[in-house]
Amino acid sequence: MLDPNQQFRGGVFHHSIPDGRIGAEIRITPSEIIAEPSAEALSAMDPSEVARLPRWVIPLSECQVDLGGASGRMVFCRNKERDLTIFCEERGFAAMLGDRSGGRISEQLHLVRERQAGENHRFRFWLAVGAAGTLLFGVIGYYSVLAAARFAIAAVPISMDEKIGSMAMQTIEKEKKLSADHPATKFTTEIVDRLKPHAAIPEMNFKVIVIDSSEVNAFALPGGQMVVYTGLLKKAESGEQIAGVLAHEMSHATLRHGLQRVSQSLGIVAAIQFLIGDAGGLLALGSQAAQTSILTSYSRQSETEADLEGARMLHEAGLDPESISEFFDKLKKEDGDIPGVLVWVSSHPLHEQRIESIAKFKSTLGKKEYSSLDLDLETVKKSLE
Amino acid sequence: MEVEIRNRPAFANLLVNLQPGDRIIAEADAMASMSSTVDMTTRMNGGLFRALARRFLGSESMFVNQFTTNTSGHIVLTQPFPGDIVCVELRGNTLFLQPGAFLACEPGISLGLGFAGLRSWISGEGLFRLKMSGTGRIWFGAYGAIFTREVTDEYIVDTGHLVAYEPSISIRVGLAGGVFSSFFSGEGLITRVRGPGKIYMQSRSFDGLAAWTNAHLW
Repeated sequence: MLDPNQQFRGGVFHHSIPDGRIGAEIRITPSEIIAEPSAEALSAMDPSEVARLPRWVIPLSECQVDLGGASGRMVFCRNKERDLTIFCEERGFAAMLGDRSGGRISEQLHLVRERQAGENHRFRFWLAVGAAGTLLFGVIGYYSVLAAARFAIAAVPISMDEKIGSMAMQTIEKEKKLSADHPATKFTTEIVDRLKPHAAIPEMNFKVIVIDSSEVNAFALPGGQMVVYTGLLKKAESGEQIAGVLAHEMSHATLRHGLQRVSQSLGIVAAIQFLIGDAGGLLALGSQAAQTSILTSYSRQSETEADLEGARMLHEAGLDPESISEFFDKLKKEDGDIPGVLVWVSSHPLHEQRIESIAKFKSTLGKKEYSSLDLDLETVKKSLE
Repeated sequence: MEVEIRNRPAFANLLVNLQPGDRIIAEADAMASMSSTVDMTTRMNGGLFRALARRFLGSESMFVNQFTTNTSGHIVLTQPFPGDIVCVELRGNTLFLQPGAFLACEPGISLGLGFAGLRSWISGEGLFRLKMSGTGRIWFGAYGAIFTREVTDEYIVDTGHLVAYEPSISIRVGLAGGVFSSFFSGEGLITRVRGPGKIYMQSRSFDGLAAWTNAHLW
């Protein structure tokens, strides 16, 4: 229980004290709060000053209490004139005050605590509002940047795509590139040449190189340069399936998805820079954006766009648009369980939906007799063995 | 121990004259020059975890240096940024310092780290604060001039300008004006300081410097 002689460590604010405040030992008698300078405080003081220091007394009956301080738990006791403040942060001080004042001070403290609780509630409310607002602002900002980037690209000349594409091409391993007169290179170039007149931007400088790698992959860089891996050629069952892949990739180039990626990444960094003010990251990303991984990993929306545009091109060229779905369906069925092999398909999500959307799109294109490519895939495959 | 604060306020530094038996404890890297008769010992600041906390949460170094002499000598202590340095004498009371402000103290002072709370963090005053208590003198610095104010009721300080305050001071976050004027006046959030007690403020803020520098980089 409460020890009636308990001393508390605290302090006093009063204009008579040099510097206005002093550390003090505090006692609570049944009628008064009494504070005397602490030994520590006195030891550092001039003896002449010590002699002039009084004891400070606040009668309990006129004591006004408040809570505050850095911890929010410091008890301030003020006299009627409010020119003397005795404060203490120690445990038990408030309880002792309440006990000695017959509950009057406890009531005052209770009111103060209720006010503090109210303030805390308001603070937490506004904290939550602030956090939610920031999140919302971020999400809206993110999508606005993505949308704005799509529109902004229309104003950028195709030569910019070609520059970025060439920069990225330099980072690609060229040692395993097959020569221009290799049957595989001739084969793919022939397909690209046939599809070219039907591309959305026929004057785009389409070029294709073949790289000797077991990876089943193909990608297009901005500006129309494409890379096909021999692994993909080996897996294909017909020239039409390869034409499907190439039409899809050419569509990425003509739809300028690579530039969209770059501008979106840059736009997001620029927005972050605007909000946070860190410019260093912008430069770092600018150079990073030239890397193929960013240029050739597209959003789901871009993939669907390329599927449909590719299907349109195949249709115009007199080839069956469903050879796109046919090829990746085959890959998925045969080797779907082998991770890492099917780079081309695995970067293209939602398999069934794509097949469905291509079929649906084909039905809107109108009836047409589809021919086959009179190209010899088997000879190409043999040349790769 | 005689300590003089020189070259105030812009490039303040401490000239400490040590006699045998005198000791001063200073932030690591604060020493700019010293007599060859002065000995320096480095110690971790109160155990590994406290030192780590002080380093990563309080923006102070893990180690503090203690300077003594067997004959006599002097050392010059400085802070890394331009600005004033003040001396405060503690007599068993406590003073809270903003992270990074501490420069030196007498051996009777204990250095601790305290959680300052979310309000302090949101108002830009840091999630943690240094807690100085004991008996003796402490010296701390600021960016720009240092000015003090006895707060009796409530006072408003812009974020980043508060350097030190007594434990009887409470801190709350507030908007500078209405929602609109707060965000477009450049004042944003402010710190509402409630007394009684004394606060130490700096006339410049690091955020202000960073924003100014950023605006002139491009």
